[in-house]
Amino acid sequence: MLLDAFNALMDIWVLVAAVSGIVTGIIIGAIPGLGPTMAIALLIPVTFTMSPIPAITLLLGVYQGAIFGGSISAILLNVPGTPSSAATAIDGYAMARKGEGGRALRVALYASVAGNIFSCLVLIVLAEPLASFALNFGPAEMAALMLFALLVIVLFGGGVRLDAALMVLLGVFASIIGLDPIEGTPRFTFNSFAMENGLQLIPVLVGLFAMSEVFLKLFQKQSSIKEPVDLPKIVPSKVRFVDMWRMRATLLWSSLIGTFVGILPGIGSTVPAFMSYGLARARSKQAHKFGQGADEGVAAPEAANNAVTGGALIPTLALGIPGDAVTAVILGAFMLQGLAPGPFLFRDYGVEVYAIFEALILSSIPTIIFGLLLFKVAVHVIRIQPRHLFPTITVLALLGAFSVNNSLVDVWVMLGAGFVGFLLRRADFPLPPLLIGLILGTPLEQSVRQAMLTSNGSLDIFWNSGIALALLGLTAISILISLCIPLLRKQRQQKGSSNV
Amino acid sequence: MMKLSSSKLIKCSALALLVGISSAYANDFPTKPITVVVPYGAGGTTDISARKLSSLAEAELGQPIVVENRPGASGTNAMRSVANARADGYTLIATTSSPLFVTPAVRPVGYDSVKDFTPILNYSGPYHGVLVPADSPYKTFDGLIKAAKSGTSISYGTAGAMGGPHLSFELIARQTGAKLKHVPFNGAGSATAAVLGKHVDVALVPAYRDLVLDSKLRLLGVLDDSRDPDFESVPTLKEAGYDVEFPSVVGVMAPAGTDPEIVEQLEMTFTKVAKSDEFKAFMTKLNQPVRVMTGEKLGGIIQSNLETYRNVAKELSQK
Repeated sequence: MLLDAFNALMDIWVLVAAVSGIVTGIIIGAIPGLGPTMAIALLIPVTFTMSPIPAITLLLGVYQGAIFGGSISAILLNVPGTPSSAATAIDGYAMARKGEGGRALRVALYASVAGNIFSCLVLIVLAEPLASFALNFGPAEMAALMLFALLVIVLFGGGVRLDAALMVLLGVFASIIGLDPIEGTPRFTFNSFAMENGLQLIPVLVGLFAMSEVFLKLFQKQSSIKEPVDLPKIVPSKVRFVDMWRMRATLLWSSLIGTFVGILPGIGSTVPAFMSYGLARARSKQAHKFGQGADEGVAAPEAANNAVTGGALIPTLALGIPGDAVTAVILGAFMLQGLAPGPFLFRDYGVEVYAIFEALILSSIPTIIFGLLLFKVAVHVIRIQPRHLFPTITVLALLGAFSVNNSLVDVWVMLGAGFVGFLLRRADFPLPPLLIGLILGTPLEQSVRQAMLTSNGSLDIFWNSGIALALLGLTAISILISLCIPLLRKQRQQKGSSNV
Repeated sequence: MMKLSSSKLIKCSALALLVGISSAYANDFPTKPITVVVPYGAGGTTDISARKLSSLAEAELGQPIVVENRPGASGTNAMRSVANARADGYTLIATTSSPLFVTPAVRPVGYDSVKDFTPILNYSGPYHGVLVPADSPYKTFDGLIKAAKSGTSISYGTAGAMGGPHLSFELIARQTGAKLKHVPFNGAGSATAAVLGKHVDVALVPAYRDLVLDSKLRLLGVLDDSRDPDFESVPTLKEAGYDVEFPSVVGVMAPAGTDPEIVEQLEMTFTKVAKSDEFKAFMTKLNQPVRVMTGEKLGGIIQSNLETYRNVAKELSQK
């Protein structure tokens, strides 16, 4: 079967489709606001007349390319192109400011490819059993998982924990705006129809990270904007295989987290990216380097958010149940090609499906080639003078916010989020926990309330489920560890100083 | 090669027809591109089917049709904007049951589905089923409700709070005194996953065909007003003896006050392409039914269901 599938790939159109998909994806992903969902939806009509394998290869190439593309603008401009690359920006931008942008991009590229290959292999080998396993995650299990995710981000995300916790709570509060997920009643909408949808993720993201940067520059004390600013020199950068091999454990853990969270519905790729970042930081012996431009700080979230792609395809293809907007669009594309996802997909269209998976793995080669070519040009972005750069970012931010729902309200939300982000950054509060709080707030609330509804209000539903119990246990252990580590460190320091 | 020439033939005949149509009407509508608003995001089934229908109608009308996605607020944003658009036939909406007669019955939405719109035609509508896991003790819909009446608490998942399926089951609970507990999910996909994983007893969702054929789920009944042609032996809830239905519609509407001649022309054109073999084949691939209905009939369904659901919502709010 795998060999038949490989033979089916020997078609020039598959190569053309893979390359054009990846290039389109990377470019669209790099533009803040435009994400993979829109890119795929716009390309679906183009694929109507194509045969199934190149058509789907094109669309999935866009999916993977866009997730990676988001990190280019995150690293070079501190403006995440997609929500999931917000984690990459932390260390990636720190490296770029030191002139090591090229190195950060290469680490991100190789880590992305590693995450992709890992999750594709999982998809090929374990799609059906994992899809069935994921069904065990009901409301109670999801609630426990999300609680764990929130804690990992607060405890191990870096920075002051109280600040992070405050930001998470602010994010959760912001997620309350809109329709109640259980009763359907409007909350904090002030009778505005536009607010019934709540604060949309993309406008908030673009505002918090991109627009706030513009506001920061705007209010900076500077003699004259016309004077050229000293910009970092571009340091020639090579990432050798050994450098990546040194991070193998980080890459593996991050890919595992990404793939696994990807399988579960409704969490997306941003949360696993930050979870992996937190985990890599917690495991690292040089945790203090995180945030200052550590290779692993870039590799961990990139491996994770790319691994989500393969994971998210598992329930979509094996059960016909998409977990989010992107996979819902991909599901439609499969159907239009006559490959109806669901229990019969692998039985009836094995050759096509495996050919598509193999194409996904093999498209790592063009991804690397085009990535490296693109970097040669892209790194010069950090040499652009602020007076040229920031107006461009502003225009992109406005367009990106509008394009999500074709709604002007989103533009105001973006500008508002930009101002809030500006204030918070001036006060040195970390923004990522705010983003995660906003993303997880509604699903966490919904899961807890769903669990309570099915159990008639009894908390037993959490204790009776092995998975939920294990996750809650992990949460408790994480809290203990994070409390103990500083104590241990202090003891060691005291010992060290008494020896001197 | 065969395929190519036959498609050319269709194009030629379409052109011939076009000439026929444009001479039949005194007004020379359309003279500029038409916009069809879709109240959901790009890439969903409503969007994809509306795009196909539009591209087929384009050839008939001789003007491009631009499909514009305006998602958000369960489709009500798009409805409101089209209700306020100029009634000249150049702004249409391809819309579904929820923003037509479910959400407006539950909360203020800023438009009146009956007074603000002129229905043109109905062309689809996914069947919503009552689904239980394959090893569930409930074999029939009647059995399920009887169990719920005799004290077993049955939980059912739907795509979201205050949707058509939720209100329908709430009505049954009221009519029969059955203990039915609603658990809303974020979309039909999550609700389907929840019933597969046995986190809820029942799910009221569309797109169940393959999961039923694979005997992962069992279909006990159909919420629609007619049986699902894929499962002819499964009764509708009405046939099972419960006075409840959730007719699923996907239709094209124009703002109220559109010139009746233009409405007639649009209805004729869209009906023709919706009945075409090409559209049917396309929808079959998408796993969506083609259900062509006149604008008049669609209007009737909207009006009567809006009333029914208003009553359900009123009762619900008094609990």
